[in-house]
Amino acid sequence: MPASERKDLFPGALKMMILRTLRRQPLHGYALVQHIKKTSDDLLQIEEGSLYPALQRMLKEGWVDAKWGVSASKRRIRIYRLTPAGAKHLEREVFSFERMLEGIRRVLSPVER
Amino acid sequence: MNWWKQLTSRPQLDQDLSAEIQQHLEERTDALVSAGMPRAEARLAARREFGNVTLLEERGRDVWRWGMIENLFADLRYAFRQLRKSPAFTAAAVLTLALGIGANTAVFSVVNAVILRPLPFPEPARLVALEALDRRSGPLPSNFSYPNFFDFRRYNQVFEYIVSYRTSNFSLSGAGMPMHLSGAIVSADLFSLLRIQPALGRGFLPEEEQAGQRVVVLSHELWKAEFSGDATILDRAITLDSQPYTVVGVMPSGFAFPVGNTKVKLWTTLARDATADTATPMTEQRGARMLNAIARLKPGVSIETALAQMDTIAGTLAKEYPDDNKNFAGTYIRPVLDELTGDTRRPLFILLGAVGLVLLIACANIANLLLARTAEREREFAIRAAIGASRRTIVRQLLTESLALALIGCGAGVLVAIVCVNLLLPLAGESIPRIGEAVVDGSVLSFSVALALLTSLLFSIAPALRLAKTELTGPLKEGSRGDVRGQDRLRIGLVVAQITLGLVLLSGAGLLIASFLHLLHRDLGLQLEHVLTFNMSVPDARYPEAKQLEFNNRLLERLRALPGVTSVAEGVPLPLTGSQMTISFAIEERPGTRSNRPSSDIAIITPDYFRTLGIPVIEGREFTARDDSKAAPVVIVNRAFAEQFFPGENVIGKRMQPGASMRDGADPMREIVGVVGNAVQTPLQMQADPIYYLPYKQLIWFVPPVVMKTSIPPAAMESAVRAVVASIDKEIPIYGLQLMDDLLGAGIARPRFQMLLLASFAGIALLLTVVGLYGVLSYSVLKRTREIGVRVALGASRRMVLGMILKQAMLLVAAGVVLGLAGAFAAGQFLTNMLYGVSPRNPLLLAIACCAIAVTAAVAAFLPARRAASIDPMQALRSE
Repeated sequence: MPASERKDLFPGALKMMILRTLRRQPLHGYALVQHIKKTSDDLLQIEEGSLYPALQRMLKEGWVDAKWGVSASKRRIRIYRLTPAGAKHLEREVFSFERMLEGIRRVLSPVER
Repeated sequence: MNWWKQLTSRPQLDQDLSAEIQQHLEERTDALVSAGMPRAEARLAARREFGNVTLLEERGRDVWRWGMIENLFADLRYAFRQLRKSPAFTAAAVLTLALGIGANTAVFSVVNAVILRPLPFPEPARLVALEALDRRSGPLPSNFSYPNFFDFRRYNQVFEYIVSYRTSNFSLSGAGMPMHLSGAIVSADLFSLLRIQPALGRGFLPEEEQAGQRVVVLSHELWKAEFSGDATILDRAITLDSQPYTVVGVMPSGFAFPVGNTKVKLWTTLARDATADTATPMTEQRGARMLNAIARLKPGVSIETALAQMDTIAGTLAKEYPDDNKNFAGTYIRPVLDELTGDTRRPLFILLGAVGLVLLIACANIANLLLARTAEREREFAIRAAIGASRRTIVRQLLTESLALALIGCGAGVLVAIVCVNLLLPLAGESIPRIGEAVVDGSVLSFSVALALLTSLLFSIAPALRLAKTELTGPLKEGSRGDVRGQDRLRIGLVVAQITLGLVLLSGAGLLIASFLHLLHRDLGLQLEHVLTFNMSVPDARYPEAKQLEFNNRLLERLRALPGVTSVAEGVPLPLTGSQMTISFAIEERPGTRSNRPSSDIAIITPDYFRTLGIPVIEGREFTARDDSKAAPVVIVNRAFAEQFFPGENVIGKRMQPGASMRDGADPMREIVGVVGNAVQTPLQMQADPIYYLPYKQLIWFVPPVVMKTSIPPAAMESAVRAVVASIDKEIPIYGLQLMDDLLGAGIARPRFQMLLLASFAGIALLLTVVGLYGVLSYSVLKRTREIGVRVALGASRRMVLGMILKQAMLLVAAGVVLGLAGAFAAGQFLTNMLYGVSPRNPLLLAIACCAIAVTAAVAAFLPARRAASIDPMQALRSE
């Protein structure tokens, strides 16, 4: 089975990270991957290519939009930008994610004690 | 984005995605190169980090697609391409399917037309047939008389309308040749009951039931053909049976009543039965049971409720008129559709079941073909799995290929069905009501598409199961051979199932064929070679008793004088016409009350009747010209009659009193003067019923149909016969001119239809089974080439190899036959009512069916077995 099938991230996590990264600044795909990898200190196993289906889905939902442009190194790049709908979605996601984390933490903490 | 924008901008979106992925890979490669990696290595590393490029790109594109549907179309496209690549497989599968689906579609179109399609009237479910129940005969449904019908109509509270009807013959004269027409004599509410009003003019008024009223409604077809669609025909008089009838309406095209009877071309009121010149009018004879009745239930009234009320009325009438009604204290009500299709329902559903079995056998064949094909394609699947296709994708692809096959098969099947329906319909003739309306229409088409979907599922179960169980990438490993055992078991199971079903069909067909042969070769008690019959409609109005007799004498005399005519007679009802007349009688030695009298078939005949039809006179004498109204009343009985009513006695000279008379209270006591051989009266009888014959001259009701035996081919007689009748009266039309042999042929059309159908199904089934067996054995020989090579190399003789393969085949056949015998026994029970003179458990027929299966199977097995025997061990071993 190909490595892409490994479930290292929970569903939605990649999307959340993309949206969060794009909120800081518009980026193109390659830069987006590098940024996520770097920020997570390579702790997360991300297959670089899996970014693109996720981006397509978000384009379809209208959370991001994309424009072709030229990078500093004269490359033709497609730059993704967060839309207001995407920002709102991110907020919702983060909120529910935090609630979930809190829940998990409460369940796990007695064992630690 | 809305869906339209998505759809139109998709090529652009897809292109953007590919471009940016390429761009990503380049950027990553460049980054790695600047970090000091050689370019070739960097390119590989970039790809590795990215993942499966094709798959991820596809997933990206998938986001924009309408998943299921587009996948289906893509899969279908791929499937068609695959099928085109293996034309032999595709042709075999499509042909098999076309046969299976085509035969099913054809039979379904018949079932649909005859049984399923509602009657062509508004709210047809509320239309019911109302019948009297005759307690003496079982009880069996019987007809009403006018006085009884009037009482039912008067006291009825459960029906919107009750209408009486009977069909009768009319002769239309005027301009041109006299013409015979079938018509119906109905009570006035018919059109209101059916809720179909005339397209032109009006229906009947209540007062038009009164004696002396003569009004008629024409069918659209008659109006077009005989009155050239002239609208001014309304309120004009036409001449029917030499009397003027006023045309008050013309029905819309396609209207048929009695339901399903397209021969009836006109309708008139029961006023016609209220006038009779020679006897008490039929409308006043409580014992004259000639009427059918149709009714429309009031909304919300069930058949049970209606039956309860009708039974109450029947009970009251039985008490009030015990002489005529004592045995008719009950009624019988069923939907008109049931009455119309009643006895065809079961045989048709049996045929539909049988043809369904054929389709199952076809499915098994295709499943086998697919299994072999799947095995051959294991490498292809393995490669697809290796480059990222999931097991689900591959199974889906397989199912889609089946679907594609089924769709092509369905298309071809519909064509087959259209041809079959056109071939089938003439076979059935008029023996099955409404069968002429069978067409491949929308509902039939949806049936065959549903069938195609179902079959595609059925025949892909086996390969899909097989695929789901195996390790997909196994075949890629060097020199590996997949596990073949499990697959063989599936294939063997399918072939055994085929043989089982094939035997069931074959034994069923055998029963019907044997039964039909019985029908053909039974002793009818009649000699029908060169016997011609025809009918005339002689109007009562112009031919009172004396003139009718004179007409008849002259007719018979002139016909007898024709060259080539051996003998001529008249009789009513003639045998094999399907009509019967039953009249009760009293035996002098055993008098009883009128309602307790026995009854049997009767016929009214002229001298020479027995000679013309080849019925032997066993004792006593025939009727002669002297047995007229002045002579002593006489009667002749058949042997069955003598044995039933006078067992062990000499019947000649006994006296009996049939209740057949023109006038009330004048039934004479008759002396039995002769006994004749048994002859069947109805076409599907195996044994003759009791019947007694009365001389025409003592009972002049109407001019009976003529039978004549000729020494030359009777077909050549037609113009001479017409000339003779015209020479006596130009106004009298001749109809129903045909050979008695043809009458018999029409009478046994239904069993012949059923037999031919089931026999063809069995033939197709046998063919498919044999092909299936052949396929399995061939494949098994192919796969065992090396094993057989080793055996031969180790000293096995050709005969041993031949025997080994044949033994394998015979084991399969034996298993199928054992299972099939059980199925055949069960299936035989369903056929009981369709059999004449054959037991459904005829061991000889079963044995023949088994032999047929075994022999054809042996032939199918022989070819692969011989191929196995001729395997060259050196080559077989080298090929590995």
